[in-house]
Order: sequence, then structure tokens, then C-alpha cells
Amino acid sequence: MYRIGFDVGGTFTDFAVLDERSGAVRHFKLPSTPGDLSRGIAEGLAHLIRSLELDPGLIRFVGHGTTTATNMVIERRGSRTGLLTTRGFRDVLEIGRQTRPHLYDYGIVNPPPLVDRENRIEVAERVAADGSVVEAPSDAELEAAAMRLREAGAAAVAICFLHSYRMPDHEAAARRAVEKVMPEAFVSVSSEVLPEFREFERLSTTVLNAYVGPRMAAYLDRLLGRIRDLGIQIEPYTVHSNGGLMSMRSVRAFPVRTCLSGPAAGVVGAAEVARDAGFPDIITFDVGGTSTDVSLVHQSRPRFTGDRLVADYPVKTPMLDIHVIGAGGGSIARIDDAGALKVGPESAGAEPGPVAYGRGGSEPTITDANLVLGRLDPGALLAGRMQVDARAARKAIRRRIAEPLGLSVEAAAEGIIRIAIANMARAIRTVSTERGHDLGRFSLFAYGGAGPLHAAELARDCAMPRVVVPVEPGTMCARGILLSDLVFDFVRSAVAEADDETWQAALAALNDMMAEGSRLLEQDGVGEADRRWRRMVEARYKGQNHEVRIDLDVLEVPSLPEFIRAFEARHREEYGYDVPGRAVEIVNCRLQAIGRVPTVADAGQESGVCIEAIARGERPVWFRSEGDFLPTPVFDRADLPPGARVEGPAVIEEMSATTLLHPGQSARVDRVGNIIIELGSSGS
Amino acid sequence: MTSIEERLLDPVTMEVFSNRLLSITEDMGNLLIRASFSTNIKERRDCSVGLFHADGRLIAQAAHIPLHLGSLMGGVEAVLRRWPVERMREGDAFMCNDPYLAGGTHMPDVTIVTPIFHNGSVRFFAANIAHHSDFGGSVPGSIAGSSPTVFQEGLRLPVIRLVRAGELDEDLLYLVAHNTREPEERMLDLEVQVATNRRGVELMTALIDREGIETVERSVEDILTYTRRRLRNRIAALADGEYTGEAWLDDDGQGGDPVPVRVTARVAGDRLTLDFSGSGPQARGALNMVESALNATVCYAIKALLDPELMPNSGIFEAVEIDAPAGTIVNPRFPGAVGARSITCNKASRAIFAAFSGLLPPERVMAAGHDSVPAIVFSGTWRDRPGTYVYLETIGGGAGARRDADGMNAVHVHMTNTTNLPVEALEHEYPLRVDEYALVEDSGGAGRRRGGLGIARQIRALADDVIFSIRSDGHILGAPGVLGGLDGGTAALIRNHGTPSAEYLSSKVSHVAMKRDESMRIETGGGGGFGPPSERAAADLARDIRGGYVSREAAARDYGAEKVGEALRLDCREASSLGMGVGSFERGSK
Repeated sequence: MYRIGFDVGGTFTDFAVLDERSGAVRHFKLPSTPGDLSRGIAEGLAHLIRSLELDPGLIRFVGHGTTTATNMVIERRGSRTGLLTTRGFRDVLEIGRQTRPHLYDYGIVNPPPLVDRENRIEVAERVAADGSVVEAPSDAELEAAAMRLREAGAAAVAICFLHSYRMPDHEAAARRAVEKVMPEAFVSVSSEVLPEFREFERLSTTVLNAYVGPRMAAYLDRLLGRIRDLGIQIEPYTVHSNGGLMSMRSVRAFPVRTCLSGPAAGVVGAAEVARDAGFPDIITFDVGGTSTDVSLVHQSRPRFTGDRLVADYPVKTPMLDIHVIGAGGGSIARIDDAGALKVGPESAGAEPGPVAYGRGGSEPTITDANLVLGRLDPGALLAGRMQVDARAARKAIRRRIAEPLGLSVEAAAEGIIRIAIANMARAIRTVSTERGHDLGRFSLFAYGGAGPLHAAELARDCAMPRVVVPVEPGTMCARGILLSDLVFDFVRSAVAEADDETWQAALAALNDMMAEGSRLLEQDGVGEADRRWRRMVEARYKGQNHEVRIDLDVLEVPSLPEFIRAFEARHREEYGYDVPGRAVEIVNCRLQAIGRVPTVADAGQESGVCIEAIARGERPVWFRSEGDFLPTPVFDRADLPPGARVEGPAVIEEMSATTLLHPGQSARVDRVGNIIIELGSSGS
Repeated sequence: MTSIEERLLDPVTMEVFSNRLLSITEDMGNLLIRASFSTNIKERRDCSVGLFHADGRLIAQAAHIPLHLGSLMGGVEAVLRRWPVERMREGDAFMCNDPYLAGGTHMPDVTIVTPIFHNGSVRFFAANIAHHSDFGGSVPGSIAGSSPTVFQEGLRLPVIRLVRAGELDEDLLYLVAHNTREPEERMLDLEVQVATNRRGVELMTALIDREGIETVERSVEDILTYTRRRLRNRIAALADGEYTGEAWLDDDGQGGDPVPVRVTARVAGDRLTLDFSGSGPQARGALNMVESALNATVCYAIKALLDPELMPNSGIFEAVEIDAPAGTIVNPRFPGAVGARSITCNKASRAIFAAFSGLLPPERVMAAGHDSVPAIVFSGTWRDRPGTYVYLETIGGGAGARRDADGMNAVHVHMTNTTNLPVEALEHEYPLRVDEYALVEDSGGAGRRRGGLGIARQIRALADDVIFSIRSDGHILGAPGVLGGLDGGTAALIRNHGTPSAEYLSSKVSHVAMKRDESMRIETGGGGGFGPPSERAAADLARDIRGGYVSREAAARDYGAEKVGEALRLDCREASSLGMGVGSFERGSK
């Protein structure tokens, strides 16, 4: 029996294959096929089946992360979409929050609404804030509105009425009208997509869902067809932006939930691998060529956010809270006209790439700086597959950075890296200390091509005690898919002061959602024993407009006084104080219905015999603490068995990444092959 | 290039340090927004934070509201005037708001300043400012366009030591809070402001302990030198000369004739002087802007025009000189009222932008936007509890067109960028109902590039005795277009719109009593157009007409019948090529 996870990126598709009998995981990296991504996927799967001699019938699970929906929005390739909304409010989509995206730069403008104004149709209907009907819609008017959208050639229809999170009947009536008039249209209804209050974000999410709906369905059809052609009988799962898996059926209805699919799988994988290694609190640190993703995982639970933009459009479905900055291996270092050294966000990307790649890049990048300092192999990268020209990198840094600043080439290269690290450190503080977490309790979990290279220095800078580098750091996302569960998110908004009655109502809402969750899990074949629930209530003090989230499952008895106590504790945690005696308002009830998939058996590689690791060679590497190059042993990661210890300074190389240990730091390899670098509590 | 070659001491450390400072101000800003109680601060983010050197120089500001930079700087200067650093103790915190005594710009913006000690002496300050939705005075919300003096505009706070060596003066806090209309919220928010600075002190102290005070001081000097140098380079790139721009307010708050804000920008080498001579006399109403408001406005406009990524700190003021004659609307004498100064600030921005349209290449020129900060205030009794609610909101409008793009629709421009209160949140919280929230059709100034559209927001009272006030502008004069572009539409306030009793009210009425089921509708102005309307692409005009951004009548008037005909033909062709009416699904993807 086999399980396959793959992550479809713009350049590469990463595959991870688990053999359930042996527990062995194999990784592949193949070029993506941008025109029709499903083709590259099929080719990749065919390649796997051939080279591993798999029986396609024995493939029990296929899960994938995809940016299909996001790319559709970025490239504006979604379907023509219409909107039905409450009379007087069709421009909410365009007004948004009435802010401009940049305070000072008028060259940066809001993105155009995804529904043209003439296709936003208002209908006479109104619900009040308490859910009572002020005016009921007429079926005739709803059908006439749908008729207009049909004539306008809309392939998708979004339906969003005011206060529908509280009273969805009017939206349901509109859905019936649209289905009657436009039976083939994709319909996206706000009270189904996101029954949560604050109209603009709900509307934006609902519209995005409609906009990507038809083409996402077409993509899934093609994908399913190709998988069937290969003889694989099961339906593929897709990673949700919350890191869980969704069935084909769910993706068809709520494609907007896949907008952050790939990176989310990486974080979930990181959380699982770290939990297994005994580190429940981590900051994930994923450095690629142009950007760095960081996120916080507390007690093995990634953090969620409802405040994200997808290609500048607000999307409020639960997503992993991943913070992205423009700093990666290809980030360009430049001295500006007033004499400051800036690193990124401009990137040399893959083309022309760093100077050392010899593809026409002339401006030094972070990768060039790492080559100059000997941190990357000055001869070749990617296990010898790619030749690099370290001398060209050195020359560029000397001419463009070192000489103008009056520094040595090494000091200039080191300065570039220090600045990049400072940018990354700020991103880490943004997700941690700025939200009240103490970094002294978190491990830095480094992956992506360039994460492990900078992790030890970054951790020291942030006073974090430890770095964890997983096996194959470059394919964490594909691996994460094999570690994900099936997850359904539910939410009910009911803004009301917390008293016995509303508390009972909240519990009832949670029970309703559990019933619905059970039904969906049942449909997806998850047995009762494999179902898990996470019940959360978001609440605030009356008069506030920001909510804190309380996990009900940590309460001993889910009673109102217990809940209020937990709310106050949570409020103290988040904001540093509470206001005893002030009325508390319940805003949202959330439920995660989780279907456990059989977990990956521990890879359990045979325990190593030799504990003293053998270096493959040595090269000079520059360290600021020494102000000089030190002869530094270079290890091949494949030579480091579980239990091996390495003392810094050291370089550990593998195909997709390089790990750097500074003088005084030491690393060990745990039982599954993770590299653990202990920095102690000394900080700097 | 500048002739003064001031070398940075350590560019690498400066850059690393800038990131640290940004982390600290972001951290403080997050705490202030998330922990505060009032909607105005937490939801609309009407607040800012900053870090200062012990000598009063601003070293970093979190970019929330550009106007706040003035009060933060003015507040710290006032604290230093009133309390020599030698007399400060660790754990002290100061509070102030007054425009004439303490560098404020209007009473509801309350500044808290907290000294940061190292080895027993003050080295830095953490400061923050928040707009409290009411701070006493004659009208709910504290701001009426027609107020004659600051004494009508709420409680005046000179520099007051609110926290003494770590101990909050509760009596003082009560005194202040109970002179406002929502005392509990005031107390909670002021305490959050104090806690925000405490967080800043903690983080800054940790940074000093880690890096050493010398490194920190050196990096601060580098940051200020760098900012000054960078701005001087931008100024030096402009041709020498003198350019004048102006902007007109409808009135001075108490009616009368339009009032000009005039500015002459003089460029000589890497020096820039902004001279506001020729601006109108001190306003009889609340439209005056004091020195700190003018400083903030200049800082904003310079950044927006010359270098949007310039770090906001005192280095900017070391490169620019500002002159404003006393007794004018841009430098009033005590006790001139100042509550509605943000409207004047936006008009001053318009004047500076206009002056710079003579200095900048066409791709950087922008037509005027609605350039107002229309503020509406509803107040009444809570639905379910005793006491008074005050719902304040400032409404966006159209932005000016630029050479390469139509003006943005429905946004805040210049000195403010606060979010709206969602309709669903508003209706949940207050006994009010929103009838309509929409773009104002035909309000964008015609042009090769069209000005952005204004906003219509119509709100209905669901109970008797709702008190309504407004301060707005541009109800008489629309936003001027540039290089042949036409003016944007004017703003309007309409009571009981769409009923037989509909009436237009003036832009600065206050204390209007509304009965149950009466409504107020504000329509904000549009932005000015860029370039002659005749040069607008037919496809763009077709989209305007199709979407109803521009009515057919207005299009014929502004763009000419011929252009409209061309646009409509284009639209027809497009529609038929799309197979209009066929109802085809998923065109081209299967």
C-alpha cells in the first residue's frame, strides 16, 4: 500500500511517496507544466509508478497542494461572475474598507473588483441586525435578476445579503432562483461559504469563491481523469489553506479554501515532524529563492488567521497564519543614493539569478554573499549538478558593495547576510513576540532551500534556544501532505452577550455543526473512531471589536463560568490584562471536524553504529565572531546516522539544502534523522 | 547629488537597527489597536506610536495616521519644556492633548509620553496617540465645525504626569474620564495607551542592554543623517525655482466666503522652503491648523510626492523649512478653535501637491482628490442600557486621477486612512440602520484619466432623539482637475433623501435632532480628472457607461456625443462577440 503527496509549484512539482509497509518515504522533484498543471502531475505520477514499480491499485491515498485557485486570481483568469446583493449595497465590493493600500504611494492602487459593476445586481430584501426580516425578497425579482446575469454571460454567481450570517433564508431563496434560471452556473452563497459577520470580508470571500469555482471544477475533472487513466482508483484530496485535507466534493463547493494550499501543508508537516521530535512549540522558517515564509506553531497547533489577502483581495476562510517577506536567496543587495545598504525585496529570481550562476545576473544577492563566505560550496550546488562562479560573486560584491562602503569583501558579504537576517528576525518577531509569545520557548524549524543555511544565526539573533532541520528540507510541503488530516471548518456568527441562554445557544450551535461535521466525515468514509473535534468560541468584552479565541476542549466542564474564566485568562495572555465584571460578548462559534488519516509509520531508520560523524572534506568558511575564515569540516548529510554529533563550525550538505553550524554550536541527529542544533539559553 | 557628503558611521548596523526599531513600533501599535476598547481605535485604527530621542527628535513612527506625527512630536517637545529630564523618574508617564499648550492638533487626540531610562538617565521616549471618540466639550465627539474657541472643544490637557514612578494617578484619570461622554471607555483606552508605552520601554531597554547604548546612539544618528541625506538628494533632483499652489475651503467653519490655503515651494539646491504666506485669515470656526498639524502635513506631502519609502523621523524636518504667518488659518492665535483641522490639513496637502505639479515630471502629477475628511457623528441613548453612544465615522471619497491611472474610488486621501465601520457592526451596535452605502455616480472629474468616485452613505434613525453633527467641505467647490481634466463632483448632505421633505443641509451643521425613521445621507466629493476628456480611450468610457460610473447624459456633456457614440459602438461589438444572451457556460475552458 502506498500513499502519495505532491505539491504543485510554479517551477517544480514535489512528490513524496510513502511505502506503508516499510515506512520508507521517497522524494522526487519534477518540472511543473504551467499550461495544464494536471499534465505535469500525471507525468510525475506515471514516472513514480514506473520507477518504483508500483501497482497503481495499491495506491491508497493521493493528496495534493495546489496554487491553481490563487494563480487564477493573480492572473485574473477566473470566470465571469455575477453578484446578487441587498438593495443599496452593490458597491460594498468596490468600496471595501474605504482605505487606500499605501499611505504615501499613489502608484499603488486597490485591485479592481472581480465582479463588474453592471453585473452586481441589487434585490429588494433586508434583514436587521437581530435576524428579523425587514423586507422579504420576491421570487419574481430574484429570478429576473438571475435572468440578467444569465444574459450577461455569467458562469458563476455570488450571493451575499446583509446579516445573512444570522438569517440565511433570503440567500437560500436567491440560490433556488439562480439554480432555476441558470442550472449550469456555479453558485457561491455567503452564508454557506463564510457565515460570519462584517459584510465586506464575507462578500469578498464569497465572490472569490465564485470567481474561481467553474475553472477549479474543470481542473479537478481533468486531474481526476488523468489519475483514473493511470489506474489509480481513489479520489485525490486537496490541502486546505488551514492545512487540513479536503475531498474533491468540498473543493468543488469551496475552492476559495485552497488559496494557501501548498505553504499550509509545509507548516502542518513541520508541526507534525517537530511534535514527533519532541518540540511542540516552533517557528517555521521556509526560505526560498525570492521569499521567506514564517509562522508560529504553539503546542503543535499552527495558528490560524482570518485576515489574509489573496492577490490583494481579503479572504476570510480559516488559513494558517503564514507571514511572508521578500527575502530569499535571490534577494538583491544594493547601496542606495543616500549610502544605505538594502537587501531585497527586489530579487534576481531564477533568471537571471545570482551573479555566480553566470546567467547574466550582475547585482550581488544573498546567495552570492554565502558563496563568498564559503557557506555554500564555491564549486558547485545541488550536489554538483550546478556549477557556480564564486569569483564572479566576489567581484560583484567588491565593486558594488565593499568598495563604496570602505569594507573588506568578507565584511560586505557578511553585512548583506546580517541585514537579510535582520529582515527575517523582524518577520519572526511579527508572528511571535508581537503577539505576546516568548521566543525563548520556541525552536526554529528550518526548511526550504535556504532556511537551514541561515537558521543558526537567526535563532541566535532572536534568542531562540534551538534549531531543527528536517530530512529533505526542500520537499517539506509534499511530505506535509502525507501528515495532514481531513479537516472541515464550520462557523456560526451570533453576536450576543454571554449569559445562560446565549451560552446554551452557543453549545447548541456547536452541536449542530458537529452533526453536520459527522455527516461530512461519514460521506468521506471516516469512521467514528477516527473523528476528532475542536470547538472554539470567539468572544470579546462588550464594546470591543476584536475577538479572542477560546478553545472549549481545554475546559474541564464546558460551563458558562468556566468559559468566562477561560476568556479572561486568554484576554490576559493576548493583551496583558482583563476587566473583571465587564460583560462578555460571544461573537463566533467555530468547529473543526477532523478525520484522522492513518499516520505515517515512523520512518525508523536503523540506528547508526558510528556516533562520531566523519567529515567528507573541509573548506574555509568566514565567521563574524572570528573576523576571519576558519577551516571548517564539511559533512554529507547522508553520512550522519541517528545519534551522530557534530561540533561547529561545520557545514552539512545535502542535495536540496546546506546547514551551517557556527563556532561553539553543536548539533545532533535524532532517531529519524532531524538535525537538532542546541544554542543553549545564552542567546547572543 | 548633494554637496554635503555626510558619511554614515555604520550602514550595516543602521539597517539592522532600523529593523529593530520597526519591530518595536509595530509591536506597540499592535498592542494599542488590539487591546483598546473603543471602536475608533481598535476597529478604525485611529492611533499611532513613535520612539523619540531624549532630546526630542523623532526616530521612528509606525505608519498608521500621518497627521499624528505632528502631535507626537509636539507632545514630546511640550513634555521636555514642562519637565526637564532630570526631574523625571522611571515609571513616569505624561499625558497631553492641547494644541496651544502641548503640541496637540485637536483635543480628542490624546498623547501619552513615557521616558525610557538607561543607567539612571533618560535616553529615549516611547509615545503614542489615540483619537478618543469623545473628549467632552459642547457636542458629542467634541468637534463642531462652527466652534468659536478651543473652550467649546473639550477638556484641555496641558502636560500632566498621569503615572508617577509607576503609580497611576487614578483621581486624575477619573477627573479626565468623567469630563467626557463615555468615561469607562476613556479610562480603559487611556490605560491601554499607558501599557503600550510600557511595552515600548521594555523592548527598547532590552535592545539597549543587548546592543549597548553607544551602538544604539550611533545607529540613531545614522538613521537621522540617512533620512536627511536621502530627502536632500530628492530635493536636489528638482529644478531650482519657485512654484505656488492653492486650495480653497468652502468657508471658515462659520459660513462666509471660501478661504484659501496657499503655499509657495522654493527649491534652491538641496534646500526646500514651504512658505504659506497668502493663506486666509484665522478661521472663526474650528478649521484652524496649529503648527504641529502643519508640520505633519508637510511631512506627509513631501513623502508622498518625493519618496514614499522615506522613514518618518526628524531627519525630514532638517531638510525642509516651513514658514506660516501668525494669525492665519495655518498658524492661528490662541484660542482659535481647531477641532476640524484635518479638513484644512487635507486642503494644505492639495495646495502642496498643486505647487509640486510645477516641479514634478507628468507621471508623478496627481489631480486633486476630494481632499476633505468628512466626519459624521450620531449620538443617542443605547438600546439596552443607560448612557449615551457616540458613533463617529469619517467617510472616504474620490482620489485624483494620475497620468497612468484613473483616481481610486471611495478612499481616504492624504492625512487620513481610517477604515469604515462595517454596516453589520454598526447596526449591531447602535439603533441605526444603513439604507445605502454606494458610489456617487458621475462624481469623478472627467478626463483622459477619470477622477475617483465619492461615497454615499445614508443612515436612518431607529429611535427618537438621535443627535446628528457633521463637519465636511467641498460642498461648494469640487476637486480641481489637472492638465485639462475636469473638476470632481461636490459633496452634499441631504436630510430625508428621496422623500417629499428632503432638504440639503450645510456642510457643518451640528446638533440636528432626528426623529425615528428620519435619515441623513452624506455624499462625498469625487476626484479631479487628468488630461482632456477628449483624450479618454473609448474602451474606458464604454466601461464607465456600462458600469454606471458615468451616466450617458454626463458622458455626452463632458466627453461629447461623438466620443460617447464611439464608446457605445465598441460596447455593442464586444457584447455580440461575447455571445450576449446565449447564456453559455464556462466559455473556452472546456
